[in-house]
Amino acid sequence: MGEVILEMKGIDKSFPGVHALDHVDLEIRKGEVLALMGENGAGKSTLMKVLTGIYTKDSGTITYEGKEVEFHSAREAQDNGVIIVHQELNMLGHLTVAQNIFIGREFKKGIKIDDKKMNEEAQKLFDRMNVDIDPRETMSKLTVGKQQMCEIAKAISHDAKIIIFDEPSAALTETEIEQLFKIIRDLRSQGMGIVYISHRMDEIKVITDRVTVMRDGTYVGTLITKDSTKDDIINMMVGRVIYEDPKEKNMTPPGAPVVLKVDHLNAGKMVQDVSFELHKGEILGFSGLMGAGRTETARALFGADPIDSGDIYINGKKVTIKSPQDAVKYGIGYLSEDRKRYGIVVQKSVAENTTMATLEKFMSGPFIDKKKENKIAQEYVEQLATKTPGTDQLVVNLSGGNQQKVVIAKWLTRDCDILIFDEPTRGIDVGAKNEIYKLMNQLAAEGKAIIMISSEMTEILRMSDRIVVMCEGKKTGELDISEATQENIMNMATREIE
Amino acid sequence: MEKIKQNPFVKKVGFNRIVLCCVLLLMYGLFCALTGGSFAGMNRIMSALNYAYFLGFLSLGVTFVIATGQIDFSIGPVMFCCALISGYTLTTHGISMPVAFLISILVGFAFGLFNGYLVAYWSVPSFITSMASMNIAKGLASVYTKTQSVSWPQAADPDNGWFRNLVRYNGVPVGLVILLVVAVVCAIILNKTRIGRYILCLGSNKEAVRLSGVDVKKWEMLAFIICGVLVGMGAIFYVSAYTTVQPGYGDQYNNEAIAGCVMGGTSMAGGLASISGTIIGVFIIALLQEGILALGFTKDYQLIITGVIVIVAVFSDVLARRRKN
Amino acid sequence: MANNTTKKAGSNKSFIDRMGGQKFIVLLVVIALFIFFCAMSPNFRKYTTFINILDFSYYIVLMAIGVAFPLMTGGVDLSIGTGLVCYSLVGGYLIVHKGMPTIVGILAAIILGMLIGVLNGVLVAIMDLPAFLATLCTCMITRGLGSIIVGGFGISWPAAAAPGGWFRSIFKIQSGGQNIPIGFLWVILLVVVMTFVLNHTRIGRYTLAIGSNKEATRLSGVNVRFYHIAAYVICGFFAGLASIAYSAIFATVQPGSGAGFELEAIGGAIIGGVSMTGGVGSITGTLFGVFVICLLKTGLPFIGLTANWQQIITGFVLIAAVLVDILKRKAGKE
Repeated sequence: MGEVILEMKGIDKSFPGVHALDHVDLEIRKGEVLALMGENGAGKSTLMKVLTGIYTKDSGTITYEGKEVEFHSAREAQDNGVIIVHQELNMLGHLTVAQNIFIGREFKKGIKIDDKKMNEEAQKLFDRMNVDIDPRETMSKLTVGKQQMCEIAKAISHDAKIIIFDEPSAALTETEIEQLFKIIRDLRSQGMGIVYISHRMDEIKVITDRVTVMRDGTYVGTLITKDSTKDDIINMMVGRVIYEDPKEKNMTPPGAPVVLKVDHLNAGKMVQDVSFELHKGEILGFSGLMGAGRTETARALFGADPIDSGDIYINGKKVTIKSPQDAVKYGIGYLSEDRKRYGIVVQKSVAENTTMATLEKFMSGPFIDKKKENKIAQEYVEQLATKTPGTDQLVVNLSGGNQQKVVIAKWLTRDCDILIFDEPTRGIDVGAKNEIYKLMNQLAAEGKAIIMISSEMTEILRMSDRIVVMCEGKKTGELDISEATQENIMNMATREIE
Repeated sequence: MEKIKQNPFVKKVGFNRIVLCCVLLLMYGLFCALTGGSFAGMNRIMSALNYAYFLGFLSLGVTFVIATGQIDFSIGPVMFCCALISGYTLTTHGISMPVAFLISILVGFAFGLFNGYLVAYWSVPSFITSMASMNIAKGLASVYTKTQSVSWPQAADPDNGWFRNLVRYNGVPVGLVILLVVAVVCAIILNKTRIGRYILCLGSNKEAVRLSGVDVKKWEMLAFIICGVLVGMGAIFYVSAYTTVQPGYGDQYNNEAIAGCVMGGTSMAGGLASISGTIIGVFIIALLQEGILALGFTKDYQLIITGVIVIVAVFSDVLARRRKN
Repeated sequence: MANNTTKKAGSNKSFIDRMGGQKFIVLLVVIALFIFFCAMSPNFRKYTTFINILDFSYYIVLMAIGVAFPLMTGGVDLSIGTGLVCYSLVGGYLIVHKGMPTIVGILAAIILGMLIGVLNGVLVAIMDLPAFLATLCTCMITRGLGSIIVGGFGISWPAAAAPGGWFRSIFKIQSGGQNIPIGFLWVILLVVVMTFVLNHTRIGRYTLAIGSNKEATRLSGVNVRFYHIAAYVICGFFAGLASIAYSAIFATVQPGSGAGFELEAIGGAIIGGVSMTGGVGSITGTLFGVFVICLLKTGLPFIGLTANWQQIITGFVLIAAVLVDILKRKAGKE
C-alpha cells in the first residue's frame, strides 16, 4: 500500500434545506485505485466537488501532500495536480484534439501558436497511454470513448497527482473500457492516486484496490476490494433503516385491465428494447441508478424525444406517438423531474399553468373564460390542498411541493388516465412529500395508472405495486412489491451487462 | 419608493406605466419651455400624432414577436414595401382604395408568414430572417415600382382622397381613435385569447408548453403573422399621413418601433408584454421626434437617442433578470 | 505512429473534404456564376467589367473578413454597414473640411471603427445584451453620428489627381491607359494574414473556442471577456478599412446610406462556411462567399435584371445558406 497523498477529514457541507455531507472522511493513497460508491444522492459528487474547489466546505480539513489546503476554483486544484475527469465532457467540439488538451495554455513561438509542438506533445501523451487518436482530428468527430481518453490525456498533461474519474465507463464500449483500465493501471503504477466513481460492481472488482462507501451524505466504511463480495458492498450502500412503512402487497385490483403496453421500445442509446405493461389503478415504480435510461424511456413514450422502433398500445389499441401533442391526446400526462424547465411556466399564474394543456375547454367564443378558468383552478387548489394565496399567484412564488401540485392539476384537468411521475418528490420537503404520496395513492385508487420514476429506494418501496428496474438503457428486472427488497433491487440496478 | 409601488392604485395601473406617463408629460413640458411655447400649438401635436399612428402599428406588431422571445427588425422596410406595392398598383392599375388596403395587408401577412415559418418550423434565428426580409422587402418594392417613389392620392382627389380622413377628419384625430381601438383589440388578443396566452407562455418557457401537448410551432408562427398584418395596416396610416413613399428606406423605424416596445415593459427575453406600455412608449418616441425637429435638430439625433434608449431599456431588463437569479 | 494516424484520417475524407469542404464548393459556385454571366452577355466578358467587379468587392470583402469574427463567437455585428459610411464621412470630413492630411483621415476612420467595435464588444460581452440588438442600436447610432458630423451633406474624398488623392491608388493604378486592380493584392494579403490570425494565434483560437463552448473556455482559464470584445474590435477595424476602400471607389459618400451592406458581408461569410452558431469559420471561404454575392450584384444587370433583384436574391441566398448550416448540424448530431 502506498503512502497517503490526500486526506479529507470531517468534511461538512450544507445547502439550504439539505445536509449534503455530514462529517465525511476519505483517504487517497499513492499508487492505488479507490472506488467511491453509494446510491444516487449519497454525496459522492458533492464530496468530489468540495475536493476540486467547485464547492467550499463548511468545516473539516483537507491535507494534501502533508499540507492543509483549500482550493478555491477548479483551476487552482488543477494547477496543484488534483484533476477530475467529468462525466459530462467539457469539450470544445469544433477545435482539434490537441487544441482542446492545451486550451488556455498554448505553446507559443513568437505570436504564433505552436500547433506543431502541441500536436507532438499530444501525440506523446497518447503514445504514453497507448491509444490511437490523431491529435489533429476535430473533437466532435471522435467517439465518446475517445473524447474521454482526450480528457484523461489533458489531466495527465497537467502533471496530475490525483485523478478522479466520475463514472467514466457509462458511455464506453467493452474494448474502450479495457483500454481505460489499462491506462488506469499504468497511471497507478506511476504512483498516481486515483478515485473511481462507478455503479458497476464488476468493474469495481476488477480495477479498484479499496472501496469507500457513502450513504445519505455520511461515510459508511472502507473495504479492501479483493477481500469483499458484491453483497458486502450492497449491504453497506443500502443498509439504512426505512422509517416509513414499505408497501406490503400489490394494491392493484385483481384483473385490472392493461391500459398501457410498451413493446420493444428503442430510442437512442439510453432506451434499448424496453417492454412493460401498466394496469389500471396501478403504481408502477421505475427504479435504477442515475443514467439508467428511465427518464429517457418516459420522454420517448411521451413523444418528447423521437422513437426509433417499438410499439405502444393504449387500452389494447396500437398508437403512434410522435409528439407530446399525440401523447396528450391519448391521455398521457408527464410530470418532469425538472419542473422549472419542463413542467411549469414559472412567470405565469397558478390558473394559467393549470389550464395549459386544456385551454380549449375554457374558451367562450374566441375568448378565454377566465372565471371558469379560475374556478377550476380553485377547485384543484382545494382538492390538492395547494398552498397559494390565490389562483392568480405566479407559480415562481410557490414552494417546490406546491409547484408539483400545480403540474398535477394541469394533467388532472386534462383527465389523463396515465400519469408519468418523474422523481415526483425531488426538491420537496418531508411534509409535502407525504401529501404527494397520499395524492398518488388516491389517484391510483380512483383508477388512474401511474408510472413513478424514482431514485429513492424508500420511495420505490413505499409507493410501488410493481417495480421495473433498469440499468444502462435496458430493463434488467421486474418485481412484485411483495418480493422486492432493497438488496435485490440494487442487485438488478448494478447488474453486469453481458 | 417601495411604498409607492405597493399603493393599490399604482399596482393596478403599473408602476412602469406611471413613470412612462410622467416622462411623456415632462418631455412635453420641456419641449414647450425650450421652444418658447411654440411647441404647445396644435400643429406640433397633430404632427407628432401622425408619426405615432404608423409607428404604433409597427410597435404593436413587434410586441407580439418579442413576447415569444424572438425579434423582427424587418418591419420598417416591410411597411414601405406594403405601401409601395399597394400604392403602385393603385396608381397604375386603377384599383379601388379598399382593394389597395387589402393588398397592403396581404403583403404584410406574406412577410409575417415567411419569417414565422422559417423561425418556428426551421429554427432559423429570427435576426437572420429579419435581415433577409428587410432586403427582400426593399428589393421587391424597388423592382415592382421600377425604383420610383409612389404618391398616394391627395386629399382633394374626388375618388380616393377620402382615405386621408383616416388620420384626421375636420381636425378630429381619427387616427388616434383607430390606433387606440386596434391597441385594445391587441390587448384582448394578448390577454384574453388562446393565441395570446400561448404566445406569452412559450416566450417564457417554450419547452414546458410543448410538453403540455401544445403545438408551439403554430402559435409561434402566428405571432409573426399578427406582426405582419399590423405592419400592413401601419403602411396604410403612413401613406394617409405622408402620401409619398420611396423605395429603399424604412430602416430607422425598426429601432423606433422596438424602442417603443421595450420601453413599455416588454421583455426581450420573452414572456412579458404590455400593450398599453407599448402605446405610451410609441407616444414618447413620436413626441421626441417632433421635439427634436422643433428644436432645429435633424432626424439624426433621433436615431442616436433611440439607439441609446433601446440599449438602456434592454440592459435594465437584463439587470432585473440577473437580480432574480 | 503520428504519420500513420494522420494518413488514416486523411484517407477517410471525401474528395471535397480534402479540397477544403464547403470552401471548395463555394469556389466552384463562383466559377460557375462567372462562366454563366460570361456566356450570357458579351459585355460581361470585358476587362472593364472585371475591374468593376473587383472594385465593388473590396469593401464588402473587408467587412466580411471582419464580421466573420463576431459570427464565429456565436454573435453578429449589424453595425458594419452604416458604420462604414460613418467612418468614411468622419475621415473625409477631417481631410476636406479641416484640411488635414489624407493619412490622418484614414487613421481616424480606422480608429473610430475600432472604438465602435469596443462599444459593441462591451455591450455584448460585459452587459450581456443580445448581439443583434446591441449592434442594431449601434447601427442607428453610427448612422446618426456620421450625418451629424458632416452636417447632412455628402463628402467627397480627394479625387485621384487632386492633392491627397494618393489613397485611391492603393486600390487601383493606371498604367498605359489600363486600370490595374492592385487592391485585389491587398485583399489577398489580408486574407492570408487573417487566416493566420484565425488559425495560429490566441485571438483566433479563443474566438472559435468562445463560439464552440463559452463556459468550457472560461473554465479553462481563458479571459473570455477580453477575447470576446477583441472579436468585435477586429470587426470594427475591418469596417474601418472597408470605409477607406469605399471612399476610394466612390466619388461621394452620402450620409444615411450603408444600410444593407452588412447583409452582403454577413451573407458572404455564412455562404463561405462561417457557422452562424459559432465555432466554425474560414477566411478564404468568406472571400469566396462574398464573390458569389458580388458576381450576382454585378452580373444581374447584364442579363437584364436590375440591381434590385440582387437585393432580393441575396436575401434568399442568406436564408438558404443558413438552412444548409442548420441541416448540416442536424446531420452531424445523428
